[in-house]
Amino acid sequence: MRKFFKILAISALFSMPLASPVAAQDGQVKITNSVKIEQVSQSDSGEPQVKLVDPDVFIPGGRLIFVTDYQNDGAEPATNFVVTNPLHSAVRLADDADPDLTVSADGGTVWGKLSELTVSSEDGSTVAASHDDVTHIRWTLAEVAPGASGRIKYPVIIR
Amino acid sequence: MKRTKQLLGAVSATALIALSASPAMAVGTTAGDTITNTVSVDFQVGGVDQTAATASDTFTVDRKVNLTVVETDSATTQVSPGELQAVTTFEITNLSNDVVDFDLSVAQPTTDDYDVTNVQIYLDDGDGVFDAGDTLITYLDEIPEDATVTVFVVGDVPLGQTTGDVAEVVLTADSHAGGGAGSLGTELVATTGANTAGVDTVLADGAGDTDAANDGAFSDTDSYTVSAADVTAVKTSSIISDPVNGTTNPKAIPGAVIEYCIAVSNSTGSATATGVDVTDSLPGDVTYLSAFGIFVDGTVDGSGVCQADGTSGGAYDSGAGEVTGTLSDIDGGVTRTLYFRATIN
Repeated sequence: MRKFFKILAISALFSMPLASPVAAQDGQVKITNSVKIEQVSQSDSGEPQVKLVDPDVFIPGGRLIFVTDYQNDGAEPATNFVVTNPLHSAVRLADDADPDLTVSADGGTVWGKLSELTVSSEDGSTVAASHDDVTHIRWTLAEVAPGASGRIKYPVIIR
Repeated sequence: MKRTKQLLGAVSATALIALSASPAMAVGTTAGDTITNTVSVDFQVGGVDQTAATASDTFTVDRKVNLTVVETDSATTQVSPGELQAVTTFEITNLSNDVVDFDLSVAQPTTDDYDVTNVQIYLDDGDGVFDAGDTLITYLDEIPEDATVTVFVVGDVPLGQTTGDVAEVVLTADSHAGGGAGSLGTELVATTGANTAGVDTVLADGAGDTDAANDGAFSDTDSYTVSAADVTAVKTSSIISDPVNGTTNPKAIPGAVIEYCIAVSNSTGSATATGVDVTDSLPGDVTYLSAFGIFVDGTVDGSGVCQADGTSGGAYDSGAGEVTGTLSDIDGGVTRTLYFRATIN
C-alpha cells in the first residue's frame, strides 16, 4: 500500500505540465519556483514601490527575477538547509545582483562570493570571474523552524 | 500504465536539455527555446539527511524582432544621364533571435530633383558587386539570426538630367515570419496582452529614415547624383606664313597658310566625356593643306593658345570639304584640341 502511494506521487510529478510551477511533494519542505519581473510604481506618498509581477515577454536582454519560495510544513526544524540553483545556460546573473551571493563559476566545485572567484580565460590565463561566468547560486540557512517560510530571489538577464 | 507515464516524463526532460544546450547567438537565445530554472533544497531533520526537495519553472523565449538597413557604398552614386541599371548598395542585418523573411520596397521621395525609372532589387551572389550572378527579388527569404545580406537597388537615369541633380531612393525592409522557404511569410506584428505559453512577438527595431521604431521595419536612403559632361568647343585660327613675308609677321593674303585649331573643353567637376567627334566644314575660300595633315589630342596653354603637341589622326573628306577627328576621353577640367592647316585661295 505504501509503495503504491509512492509510485503515484512520482508519476504525478512527472506528468505535471512544465510551464507551471512544480512543488516538491516529497517530505516536509515545500518549495515553489516562479519567474517574475520588477514593476516600479509610485506609492501615494511618492515613494517608488517595487512589485513582482508576471512577465509579458521573454526576449533576449530581458531582465527577470527568479524567485524561490520555501516553507517547512513539518513538525521538526529543518537544519543545514541548502538551496542550490544551477543557472540555465541561456540566462546570466544580472550585474546588479547582491554581491554577497554565494556562487560558483565552475559548475559547482568552487563556491564563494563572485569577487573571490576566478575562471580560465581563452588564452589559459586566470582572470576574475564575472557575472557572465556564474553557473550556480547557493543559499545556506542554518535552520528553518517548523511552519517557517521564506523567499529568495535574484535577477537574471536572458542571453 | 504508470510506468509508461514515467518514461514519457523522462523523454521530454531529455529533449528539453538538448534544446537548451544550443549556444546563445550574438542576438540572443533563439525564439522558441525553453528555459527551465530548477532549484533543489538539501536539508536535515534531527541531524538526518532528507530527500532533496526540487522545483522548476519553465518559460519559452519569445521572438524579438530587430533589423537594420544600411546603405554601404559611397554616400551617393555618380550617374550619367541615360545610364541604365545604376546601382546603390544596401546591407540588411537580421538582429532578431529567429529566422525572418524581409519584404523589400523602394520609395522615391518627391522632395528631390528627379526619379530613376525601372527600379529593381537584386540579391548579391556574395561578391559584393552587381553582376550577372545576382538574383532579382522582392523579398529576402529565410534570413538566419545574425546574418547580413547585401542587396542592390538599380534604376535607370532619364536623359536630360543635368549635373548635380539628385534622385533619392529609400529601401525599406519589413519583417515577416520565416519558416516557409520559398515564400514570404505573414507580416510579424507585436503580440498584445499577457504572455502566452507559445512564442510571442516583440518588435524591438529602431526608427529608420522613413519608418518608426518598434514597427518591424527599417529603412535607409541612398541617392543617385547626376554628373554630366559639360563640353564646349572654341575654334581659333592663326596665320603661319604668306608668300611675301614668309613666317615673319605673315598677312592673310592669297597663298598664305592658316592653321585652324578646335579646342574642346570639359568643365571642371563634370563627368568624363567619351567618344568626342570633331567635325569642321572648311570655308570655300581656303584649301585643305594635305602636306601638313590633321593632329588630334593636342593641348592649350594657360591663355588658350593651341600647342603643336598633338598626334597625327583624323581625316579629310574632300567631297564634303570636312575635317573630322575623334578625341580621346576628356576628363572634367581638361581641354583637347584638333588642328590642321589650309591655304587661302
